[in-house]
Amino acid sequence: MSSTTTAPRSSVPQAFKLRVRRYDPESGQAAYWDEHEIELEGHRSVLEGILQAKNRFDGSIGIRCSCRQAICGSCGVRINGEPALACHTHLDEAIKSAKDGVIEIEPMGNMPVIKDLIVDMDAVHWKKVRRVTPWLIAKQPVPEREYIVDRESMVDVTQTMACIQCGACVSDCLAMEVDPGFIGPAALAKAYRFVGDPRDDARHVRLNDLSQDPQGIYDCTHCFKCVEACPKDVNPMGQIMRLRRIAGSDEQIVDVNNGHRHEEAFTTLIRDYGLLHEAELLPRSYGGDSWFGKFHPAAGKELLSSLPAIVKAVVKGKVSPTKAIFGHKIAKRDLDSVKRIYERVEGKPQRYELNLYIVGEDE
Amino acid sequence: MPEHDVLIIGAGLAGQRAALAAAQAGASVAIMSKVHPVRSHSVAAAGGINAAISLDDDWRSHAFDTVKGSDFLGDQDAIEVMCSEAPGEVMHLEHMGVTFHRNEKGEMDLRAFGGASMKRTAYVADITGQALLHVLYEQLMKHHEQVERYEEWFTTSLLIDDAGRCVGVIARDVRSGRMESFLAKNVILACGGAGQAYKPTTNGLIVTGDGIALAYRAGAPLMDMEMVQYHPTCLVESGILITEGARGEGAHLLNANGERFMEKSAPNKMELASRDVVSRAEQIEINEGRGVGPNKAGIYLDVTVVPRKRTLEALREIVNLGRDFAGVDITREPIMIRPGQHYIMGGVKTDIDGRTPIDGLYAAGEVACVSVHGGNRLGANSLLDTLIFGRRAGEHAAARSASMPMPALNTVSRVQADEAGIDAIVRREKGGRRVSEIKDELGETMNRYAAVFRDEQGLQSARETVARLKEEAGSAWIDDRGTVFNQDVLGALELSYMLDCAEAIVLGAIERKESRGAQFRTDYAERDDENWLKHINITATADGPKVSYSPVNITQWEPEERKY
Amino acid sequence: MKVAYWPGCVSRGFTPELHGSMAKVAPLLDIELVELDRGNCCGAGVIAEHNQELADTLNARTFALAQQVEGAELMMNICSTCQGAQTECQERLDANAQYRAHVNETLSSDGLTYEKGLTNKNFLWLLVEEIGLDTLASKVRRPLTNLKVGPFYGCYIVRPRNRLGIDDEHPRDHYMERLIEALGGTVIEYAGMRKCCGFPIITMNKDASLKQAGTHLGDAMDAEADCLVTPCPLCHLNLDLQQPLAAKVVARKLEMPVLHLPQLVGLALGLDPKDLGLSRHVVKPTSVIDWSTSVVASAA
Repeated sequence: MSSTTTAPRSSVPQAFKLRVRRYDPESGQAAYWDEHEIELEGHRSVLEGILQAKNRFDGSIGIRCSCRQAICGSCGVRINGEPALACHTHLDEAIKSAKDGVIEIEPMGNMPVIKDLIVDMDAVHWKKVRRVTPWLIAKQPVPEREYIVDRESMVDVTQTMACIQCGACVSDCLAMEVDPGFIGPAALAKAYRFVGDPRDDARHVRLNDLSQDPQGIYDCTHCFKCVEACPKDVNPMGQIMRLRRIAGSDEQIVDVNNGHRHEEAFTTLIRDYGLLHEAELLPRSYGGDSWFGKFHPAAGKELLSSLPAIVKAVVKGKVSPTKAIFGHKIAKRDLDSVKRIYERVEGKPQRYELNLYIVGEDE
Repeated sequence: MPEHDVLIIGAGLAGQRAALAAAQAGASVAIMSKVHPVRSHSVAAAGGINAAISLDDDWRSHAFDTVKGSDFLGDQDAIEVMCSEAPGEVMHLEHMGVTFHRNEKGEMDLRAFGGASMKRTAYVADITGQALLHVLYEQLMKHHEQVERYEEWFTTSLLIDDAGRCVGVIARDVRSGRMESFLAKNVILACGGAGQAYKPTTNGLIVTGDGIALAYRAGAPLMDMEMVQYHPTCLVESGILITEGARGEGAHLLNANGERFMEKSAPNKMELASRDVVSRAEQIEINEGRGVGPNKAGIYLDVTVVPRKRTLEALREIVNLGRDFAGVDITREPIMIRPGQHYIMGGVKTDIDGRTPIDGLYAAGEVACVSVHGGNRLGANSLLDTLIFGRRAGEHAAARSASMPMPALNTVSRVQADEAGIDAIVRREKGGRRVSEIKDELGETMNRYAAVFRDEQGLQSARETVARLKEEAGSAWIDDRGTVFNQDVLGALELSYMLDCAEAIVLGAIERKESRGAQFRTDYAERDDENWLKHINITATADGPKVSYSPVNITQWEPEERKY
Repeated sequence: MKVAYWPGCVSRGFTPELHGSMAKVAPLLDIELVELDRGNCCGAGVIAEHNQELADTLNARTFALAQQVEGAELMMNICSTCQGAQTECQERLDANAQYRAHVNETLSSDGLTYEKGLTNKNFLWLLVEEIGLDTLASKVRRPLTNLKVGPFYGCYIVRPRNRLGIDDEHPRDHYMERLIEALGGTVIEYAGMRKCCGFPIITMNKDASLKQAGTHLGDAMDAEADCLVTPCPLCHLNLDLQQPLAAKVVARKLEMPVLHLPQLVGLALGLDPKDLGLSRHVVKPTSVIDWSTSVVASAA
């Protein structure tokens, strides 16, 4: 769907085969596949294909849908295994990723199926949204007219405001797949919508809340699945990283997952070595300044449990004991150059962050 | 049986605003919607919301523009209420968290819109409806203890007691198929228009005239139903809406000769004349062979004249729509559009507090006709309408609830009747036509005969078709025999709702023998204030629909010739 | 071809067999590696999480060094995470001239400047797009006949597609399958091949992290893969180094060798498994070594 070509579109309908995952909770039967052949122009949407099948062959196919233009967020499904809005995926695009020439449509993942392509969003998605106190806690006193705020700040939060709550990112969140309690991409993007809003009075409280929850902002595996899944360019993972940045770097919040310490450790290691020193990363992440230094008390156990892996690496000859302890680094003049970058960038009174959503790309 | 002071049907902007207002006034409130609230079609409103918030603006100017836009059919007392309360409402929304676009000074920015004498449209890029709807839903989540939510419940009928008062509804839990009755001191209909009676339409598949039909069946009069707005800029093939904000930002309309043809019909406002005027001008170009594209059925909307950076920021959504639904980069080349069904100015007749003539029944938003839009609604006045009259209905219903007891009614037989009606549809033999076929024919008929240009012959033919389709719908069959998410059977009910709406639209259009606002009769091409400066009301009776009239409320602006 | 070669940190730290095997394989493919030994860590997304401008500037420094390598056609990396993290920074640097100037200002004291438009390709992309799979196939001395190989891409090299230039013409998220086939092997598809190895949260949510690794390894075993191959040394850490721990978390026996991409290519090009550092893995690639022995035996 990202194509910006303006090549003429064919007005000739062609046949497409759709394989739809069906599930009827009243039948007592397991889910099964159902195939229909529909006829539409290639640039028409998968939703239109499903609706044609529904209208012509089987009205019992269940799918939520309404606007047909990717704004109501109803028709989140998986198409050929990937999450998408059915109305926002062209048939001729979908057929390209079809394994055997048949477009496969399934309900979204990470949420229980109610019927056919309809999932229980309330049990998962909305529950998580409600978890992040999803409303503005307005700064007092409320002005008589509008709050005077930066133009850019409103454009910025409009990116997360543009989330249509379709659940596509939730469907394939890989962290949620192994840890269903993870607050998840959509709800955390929603959290940024308030954290980034200069009218909100609870920035620190919100960030602290999301940092002290072990399934909060530091439970994201950084897999980009949500970035890819989002039909509205909300960039949920990017927003989670911004939440971490603001929580850790600006608000100095120490989280329960050790995420901020890990990030500090990583960052200072690169300052000190220019390259990553894996063995040293562990103790630093756990709150010490080195293997030989002092650890955060709670970290001892965690750290010890990581030791076998390090020892194994040394035993296996992957790493020489010297390297495991002292690491590798770049030459001094380059290290100096790296340090200068740190000093200049970190020495600024305010962190600067280029946001392409706001500034756009050069012509 | 659940009981509430105020029960709201529909959870778009009007419904959610009504719920919050009623809850704030201390009433026990519930909001019911056949879809999850954020799926409501308010979400698709793009361009913005009008309010005279600029220091050099005056609500009276907004009101006059609205009166003029309505072709003097709008009720001026209602328009005064809407426009004078607009700035306060918009500020309230801003305080709730709507991310309104700012100017360099950090104040709310305003953009130009059709039919407006100055910039007074506040906006969030071109997703204003979504931003408003989602912020209201945030508030519903916040006030979950005060507002009960029945999400994915489909209303099958209004409960009217022996005294003719509305005392609740019967509804079906879409997820389980269970039928349930709900008692309420007051019911507010806020379930939108009936765009799906047209094909194509900018409206979502859920916009099926449910509330209009429920009220009509309960005996409430429908007003101004003939006034159906065709939006000037819809994608040629799919009918998807391209926001008026595009023209607000400066985009041009061009015919096949590359001419800005609006200078013929609106030399001053050009592309920013009111929607009825622009849609008519486009249709004339197309009818006279100056259209573009296949069958010369389109007009070019040229957004390339807007600075690209501005387009990418303020019109993000239509950049995406152009790319994804028409294969066009609107920042680089013109896009083909045409007029398309968009909005129903008419609806359930109400007063300025949302009260219908049925005791205990209110209506607000597109389902209602106050009438603030008269013959033609100005762009960015619909969001305002939903919020102002949603709030007023909520407040009024809450106040009324405070001084009345919970109605008592044995609903068992009513529930059984609705249940039996649904069972009968589910069990129908596959003899007649499919529901979907009838719906398609209805949509095509309406789009042909009750569109931008109308005449007696076409309208009569539409009337006959609608009558036949009503017959056929009585035996139309469906596939789904289940109870869980049986969308098929709900589709059959929706079809019956749409047919009722279509009947009223066509009757109103036949009745009004003049051209005003969105109603242009080629056989009565002039506005006729002497005979038709009045509302047409249609009421369902045992002998079929009955037509009556009501006066237009004129406070300070006498009808004059309308020029843009 | 001559490339500015960015090996990344881990290939010179905990997975030296990756760096070593790349050095062995390059000459066989006529790739001249000019190692960017002055370059710095890409930040792996973690520095960006701390300070985005810092990450962008650090990577701009490495890019600028790459652009100074005379005669190099492009920059090549051997780490999915480097590819993803660097491309993200480059996207910002390339998109906005003002920002680029701002970052270059910081670099200027070292006489470095990044100029828009660097080409930075993972070894995988380079194999397919620059060398070509036909050419590669023609150099195969020990076809991977009967070797069942499961690809494991690593998130950073497959998502997001737009940023990474993955499209119909460049189906980079399918290159591993093509490559394995070109080397004569059998592709094993399994559920986790484009999922997350769990490494980024190994210190934050160890259970979830190892559950990811363990699940994918188990899926690959169920699909009867002989081994996995990955272009990402960080994935390798979670899949190989942590495999014994992952096995405990998913409560099943796991025995799945994980090869680095250059190791697999090296095997097919006829190199000795030992020289490729296969013995240095935590999970001994017995199946692969047995396979290569059997190939040698049958050839004899």
